[in-house]
Amino acid sequence: MYVKVRVDEDKCIGCKLCILACPDPNVLTYTENKKVSADENRCKGCGLCVANCPKDALVIS
Amino acid sequence: MSNKIITPVEEFADLLPDEYKELINKGPFFKTKGIEDLGTFKEIIDEHPHCAGCGVALGVRLTAAALPSPEDTLIIGTPGCSFFGLSQAALNYSTTAFGNQNAVASGLKRMLTIRYPEQNKDVVVLVGDGGIADIGLDLTLHSWFRREKITTIMVDNEVYGNTGGQESGMSTQGKVLNMAPKGKLFPKLPVFDMAKISGCAYAVRVTVASPQKVGRAVRKAILIAREIGPTYVQIYTPCPTNLKFPPNQTVKIAKEAEKDYYAYEEFITAEAQDYLDKNNLK
Repeated sequence: MYVKVRVDEDKCIGCKLCILACPDPNVLTYTENKKVSADENRCKGCGLCVANCPKDALVIS
Repeated sequence: MSNKIITPVEEFADLLPDEYKELINKGPFFKTKGIEDLGTFKEIIDEHPHCAGCGVALGVRLTAAALPSPEDTLIIGTPGCSFFGLSQAALNYSTTAFGNQNAVASGLKRMLTIRYPEQNKDVVVLVGDGGIADIGLDLTLHSWFRREKITTIMVDNEVYGNTGGQESGMSTQGKVLNMAPKGKLFPKLPVFDMAKISGCAYAVRVTVASPQKVGRAVRKAILIAREIGPTYVQIYTPCPTNLKFPPNQTVKIAKEAEKDYYAYEEFITAEAQDYLDKNNLK
């Protein structure tokens, strides 16, 4: 099964809690317009970022 | 170390992989980057083979991001889960026989002090609970008794994760594990309390549920180890594979442990506090 993270940019408030909870480096990055973007090829799909997001802006699918 | 050593000459720039070029242009070397800047720079650790949701990988990643000067840091490791993350890192890394890490670090620190008397070369021991609390306990304690100026960081996952889930000295009492079917019979070793009475100038106990505190602790520990004496940081990093919980619960488990038996605790000697205040270090 192939799982990866997706970011809903409308819901993201740029609090960076997901970046601090992700065990894999360089997956979640902070973009210039103060949102989080995800590198789907590096994601292992553990779901730690989803569990830590206060706005439910991240989905594992 | 100067930036020239890692910057490629123009003729060869095309041949190098993109990750390397990104590390030179956007990496944390020769800039002051901390935990709060994570996500805006290329991290020194790259893709590693740890399990999904691994607490140790999170602890190693936060530690690597919090190093005050990564270009002048030497990391000493030992076999175990903490080993893999750093063999993929753009850091000076040295591995040792199991349990010998603090003895090797002592020698390297003395050698670096003689070779580079005017520079700060940080020697950081980053190993798991097996390396410090079980097999390397004597060498670790003796490096503290001798007041070697090294930082010891333990990523405590309370189990031998790499070899299939044997109980370690840091497992909690009664914990049933893959190779401890009746539950562990004796209590968790008080390594943090040992550090306080064995000569450490600074000792902290944190969990990965509070990344800001991890960053501050690692930074302070390395700065104090430059001048004052040995320092110790113990990070709780739960293991989803061998402690049997879903991988998205790692931070939640760490948060629960923080309320129960792994409360944040900081120990600092008056001399170390004076040093931080005088030099205006945070």
